[in-house]
Amino acid sequence: MPVAINDDAFAYLLARAGLTLTDAEKAELKTVCDGIAAMAERVRKPRGRMAEPALIYGFAEEDMP
Amino acid sequence: MSAAIPTIAAAAKQIAAKELSPVELTKACLDRVHKLDDRLHAFVHLTEERALAEARAAEAAIMANGPKSPLHGIPIGLKDIVDTKGIPTTCQSKLLQDNIPDSDATCAEKLAAAGTVLMGKLTTHEFADGGPSFDLPQPPARNPWDTGHFTAGSSSGTGAGVAAGMILCGIGTDTGGSIRGPAAYCGIAGLKPTYGLVSRAGVAPAAFSLDHIGPMAWTAEDCAIMLQALAGHDPRDPASANRPVPDYRAALGSGIKGARIGVIHHFHETDHKVGEATQRGINGAVDTFRGLGAEIREVQLSPLQDWHACGSLISIVERAAAYEEWARTRLPDFGERMRTRLMLGAFVSGVDYLQAVRRRRELRDELKVAMADLDVVLTAVFPNEAPQIDALPKWDVFQQPSFMMPFNVAGCPAMSVCSGFGAGGLPVAIQIVGKPFREATVLRVADAFEKATPFRDRRPPAD
Repeated sequence: MPVAINDDAFAYLLARAGLTLTDAEKAELKTVCDGIAAMAERVRKPRGRMAEPALIYGFAEEDMP
Repeated sequence: MSAAIPTIAAAAKQIAAKELSPVELTKACLDRVHKLDDRLHAFVHLTEERALAEARAAEAAIMANGPKSPLHGIPIGLKDIVDTKGIPTTCQSKLLQDNIPDSDATCAEKLAAAGTVLMGKLTTHEFADGGPSFDLPQPPARNPWDTGHFTAGSSSGTGAGVAAGMILCGIGTDTGGSIRGPAAYCGIAGLKPTYGLVSRAGVAPAAFSLDHIGPMAWTAEDCAIMLQALAGHDPRDPASANRPVPDYRAALGSGIKGARIGVIHHFHETDHKVGEATQRGINGAVDTFRGLGAEIREVQLSPLQDWHACGSLISIVERAAAYEEWARTRLPDFGERMRTRLMLGAFVSGVDYLQAVRRRRELRDELKVAMADLDVVLTAVFPNEAPQIDALPKWDVFQQPSFMMPFNVAGCPAMSVCSGFGAGGLPVAIQIVGKPFREATVLRVADAFEKATPFRDRRPPAD
């Protein structure tokens, strides 16, 4: 289960992102943080360390002079 | 909507036979813009003089040498996130009100080379995301079937413009459904091609790995005509696929006897249960396909919620990265909806993002296995008819999962075609999904469906 975000963590993440929000925006945003956490939990599967991400690419012909 | 507005296929035939003048066709479209667009807001920038000049040039060239493509002399529009040399490209944002690109996006260039007539730039949600904001420089587009209702987005102007006959086709872009959604709510056809088939060069990003450029038109056949001009390798786009482009119209009309069609019942019957009209449309499509000789099978995938979470996390982060500089320095200049999307980026960690990208590989592989013995799969586009434009939830991304996002995650071709009408008289749609680079198959199935059903005969009552 996702952990609910506390005020300090909320403020830290916004500051780290460099976002300056009004108090009303902060209050509203706080109501949807759980939604993000729930999505993050949903993509977290027991897949082990070897599972590759989708964005792994090989070199194409034009990359090789 | 007047029946006098032809499809591209019909107009091209008449133009080639010198029975239809591109100038008269363009004037007819402009008349409709002048008559309707103060209510529909499909255009953010009308290029009337340029359109007439291009139509006259097309007509002269066709009279001298015949048409160079089925798009020669056809009036089109471009979503306003597509760069156009010398023409404002605002992305419907206060941040780009003075932006006049010095070069064309590849898709704009290719359509111009095919001989199209550019009518102007079309309404979008800000930077192709964020939903219909009412605090942007220009108002959101309205649905021609009922102007109190939403067009969907973000290719909202393209959906409204094609449905109302102001243009015969237009460019849409699709990061989580922005071609297929407006196509569905506006009752037209829209194809999100395979990732990499159509160049993204010169088009403002929404989410780099989910962004697709594609055709929107009245019919699947018209989408095929447009895709023919758009597809192909472009070294300006690092994701561009370097592979041969087939003839997308060649197989149209050859029927779908023996086609293997999978239905992802659990997406629209359990994971996100659709309304009666949409379900009736899907059931009707299954009956139609079976009647045309297709074999229908059941398909089981991971829950729709898994696909939605995966695509949404990737989309949130890639958008936040693309627009980080402005989000840090000019956040209040974005519209309300886009601001909210950008804020969400602060709450997805790097590890969360990469877990989503790892999940993406698993989901993509799952669809590949499920489709191994199938030609296309079928599901919904939206659960219901278009809602009222002023009744949309602000945080819709956390409400019900999208039927379209799975195919941005997988990168495979997916198309919306009209499958009937709901109790409110607005269109509903089905989604036809193919294997990567099998657009010809998707178009053939969509074309067969349109020709076997009466839904292309009904136009919006926008007059």
